[in-house]
Amino acid sequence: MNKILIGLLFGLVLGAIDGTTAWFTPEARPLIGGIMVGSSIKGMLVGLLSGWFARKVHSTKWGVVLGAGLGLLFAFIVAAMPSETGKHHYLEIMLPGFVVGAILGFLTQRMGPPHPAVIAE
Amino acid sequence: MALSDSVLDHLRHVAALPDLTGTRYELESEIGRGGLGVVYAAHDRQLDRRVALKVLDFALAGEARLIARLEHPAIVPIYETGTLPDGRAFYTMKLVAGTRLDRYLAGSPSLAERLRVIRRVGEAIGFAHSQGSIHRDLKPQNIMVGEFGEVYVMDWGVDAVEGTPAFRAPDPSLDHRSDIYSLGALLRFMLPVAAPPALRAITTKAMNADPAARYSNAQALLADIERFQEGHAVEAWSEPLWHRLRRFGSRNAVLLWLLAAYAAVKFLLFFLRNV
Amino acid sequence: MLAGAWGMIGSRTYLDTDTSIGGPHGGFPSTQLSLLEAATSGLANEALERVIALYWKPVYRFIRLKFRKNNEDAKDLTQSFFATAIERDFFVRFEPSRASFRTYLRMTVERFAANEHAAANREKRGGGIEFEPLENQAVTSESPEQVFEREWQRQLFALALDDLRSLCESSGKQLQFHIFEAYDLADEARPSYADLAARHGIAETSVTNHLAWTRRTLRGLVTDRLRGVTASDREAREEMRRLWL
Repeated sequence: MNKILIGLLFGLVLGAIDGTTAWFTPEARPLIGGIMVGSSIKGMLVGLLSGWFARKVHSTKWGVVLGAGLGLLFAFIVAAMPSETGKHHYLEIMLPGFVVGAILGFLTQRMGPPHPAVIAE
Repeated sequence: MALSDSVLDHLRHVAALPDLTGTRYELESEIGRGGLGVVYAAHDRQLDRRVALKVLDFALAGEARLIARLEHPAIVPIYETGTLPDGRAFYTMKLVAGTRLDRYLAGSPSLAERLRVIRRVGEAIGFAHSQGSIHRDLKPQNIMVGEFGEVYVMDWGVDAVEGTPAFRAPDPSLDHRSDIYSLGALLRFMLPVAAPPALRAITTKAMNADPAARYSNAQALLADIERFQEGHAVEAWSEPLWHRLRRFGSRNAVLLWLLAAYAAVKFLLFFLRNV
Repeated sequence: MLAGAWGMIGSRTYLDTDTSIGGPHGGFPSTQLSLLEAATSGLANEALERVIALYWKPVYRFIRLKFRKNNEDAKDLTQSFFATAIERDFFVRFEPSRASFRTYLRMTVERFAANEHAAANREKRGGGIEFEPLENQAVTSESPEQVFEREWQRQLFALALDDLRSLCESSGKQLQFHIFEAYDLADEARPSYADLAARHGIAETSVTNHLAWTRRTLRGLVTDRLRGVTASDREAREEMRRLWL
């Protein structure tokens, strides 16, 4: 179970959960299927990249920063995509995406096989 | 011959001094009394250095050999053994410059520092046990903290004659588990008044009146201390639920904060929209 | 009469090739047996003599101080104590594991003197408080028990010094003894090593050596005397720990 897989797995799960919370927004409910899928893919991407980063760099702080940044970036891309309603929900998508990304960054740093630098400590 | 008090005391003193003629050492001063002998500071003429010289009241050559066999950073290295002209045995060892443990605590070291010292002592004890030796008289007076922070355990293998009862196991016969008891007593001695209950529980387990209920070896005790220092559950203590949650919380603080942040963000957005 | 006073106190095997107390020192072999050994091997008289030689003065001073007796009464009481002790096998009842022989003997003296005191008082009528005059006693801040131990130490060394003197005279070491006497037995100002060297026409290092020899010989003699009045190695060791400063 390496860090990349951990990132993918948690990215999928957290992304799906994040997407599910769209249910609380009545106007998003009919699209919830697509939202969940998109959110999961977004999460997996962030998780994958965070996991890869965690293998190279051992720093909880920077892992969180990177994850948050990636989460923000991909959330922005999703929010900026043309939607049927024509409305863009930047805030509702990017803010949670930012935090979820941070969580993924943290988890990939802390979990899985230790970084070689840690073994040498 | 009528001896005045002052002459009597003088004779009592000089008759006890070790006569070092014929050896390469020059007597300097008395450092302390421990176990079965008196320890002096002496000057080694050949190597031009100061050493600690312990004179044994009785020829127990075994004591020196016992310690000489144990090579460990926390056990004082033995240099030489010999016999004085008056028949008493002696051995020389490294003269440790430092403070005895009871005085060391007067400097109010941090908890982490105290635990570090205990761990060094525990490692020495564990090592000795693995070599088949037992300390028998572990107490603060037998531990020195050197000027570089190094820890020395001294006065090995001596049956605690005037042993400080507080640190001596109530076992009828002493074995390595009695050392565990003493180690626990030492830890208790070193803990500040307001000590974490987990650490106190460790001392209680180590100082159990029943030797079988104590930690089986020094490593087990040290492992529990390590667990405490890393925020894990301690074997010796069954902690109440709220304490377990608190500990879990502090270990996983970052994650919990992030999850809280997520929830907060979600709630915020929800309310912003519906305002 | 005396031989029967000891009887069998207890058997104890004595090997101890390793732990030779005061072992070989300058060729003076250690032949002193402990109290029990002397008793069990039939040398009861000698053991008793050693005990009395050492304890007479301490007991006398103890009685004087604790029971406020004058010189004559204290002497009489001390004499009768030892006589009674021998007759009634006081020393046979000593259990080595409980206390040192010295403490045991002191407690025996206390009981004995208290009984005598009570008996003497019963003869007088009127009951009331008796005041014994504290004539010419040095006012001391020490308790009678402390005085007892101190006198015991003093007498122990005094006897050992006598042994030392005879030893030196018989083995031609008078010079060593003179130097030791001038230095270690000096009551007030001690001469310097240089002074002693000049006085006897020898080198200063010789002074150091002579003192060293004499001191360790003295140590051996004290140890021997001590062994003669203790019942076991362990007791001897503990007494020595209290003795050396």
